[in-house]
Amino acid sequence: MKQEKRERAPIHITIADIERAYKKVEEFQRLLERGKTKEQIFKDMLRLIEVDK
Amino acid sequence: MISDLLKTILDVASHFNITTVIIGGLALPAYNVARTTLDIDICIKIESEKQLNYFIKDLKEKEIKTKQQPKINHDLFIVFGKGSEAEIWLKPCDAFQWDAQMVEKIQLFFGDVYVLAVEDYILTKLARIDRSSIDIDDILKLIIANKDSLDWEYFHFRLKWAGLESDFKEIIKGFELDFNYNIRNISKDILDKFK
Repeated sequence: MKQEKRERAPIHITIADIERAYKKVEEFQRLLERGKTKEQIFKDMLRLIEVDK
Repeated sequence: MISDLLKTILDVASHFNITTVIIGGLALPAYNVARTTLDIDICIKIESEKQLNYFIKDLKEKEIKTKQQPKINHDLFIVFGKGSEAEIWLKPCDAFQWDAQMVEKIQLFFGDVYVLAVEDYILTKLARIDRSSIDIDDILKLIIANKDSLDWEYFHFRLKWAGLESDFKEIIKGFELDFNYNIRNISKDILDKFK
């Protein structure tokens, strides 16, 4: 495998990072429970990108 | 209906039998995660310079153009359609190339939209040379949302393959912190599965 020589930024995770991640995953699950599909969410994201451009 | 730009790129790639997946932030909903993103990132597996040239020529005929002169050994090129643009990557990540196992594990998202296996997708975020805090946040969410479906054995293999085991251990430390502080069972579960 070809490896680049540049170094990546170090990783430092805090409890706040983990808590935020759990919250975001729960929010996504709530969207699914309300009837949104993953496909619809993808298309919504795509629409937002196009509005921005 | 998906955007004209994305649809055209997928149609042209399909016409030339080019393996194509959505990568970057836009692929996140396929893995039960979402956030805002401003980019359309598509990854194609090109077999030859000739195939790449045909692909670019056909896109051009459909009003999707690039200002670059892409070659098979490049990382990516940008294409412009009417009012929108997309990054077309020739490898899943700037730090590694396609391989047969990665292709074999590609998953159908919906319609003709495909994504990498979640393990490989996480690797694209962990391995990228300009990895940011957004990538790390995405990885945390991906681990939480996919802890039960993740093929941990394959993931371990990929981490070793990419030389990223110690990087991922730093991420796992976050779940250790969370379990010690919040006694959250999901974090404990993730720690057990990682072992």
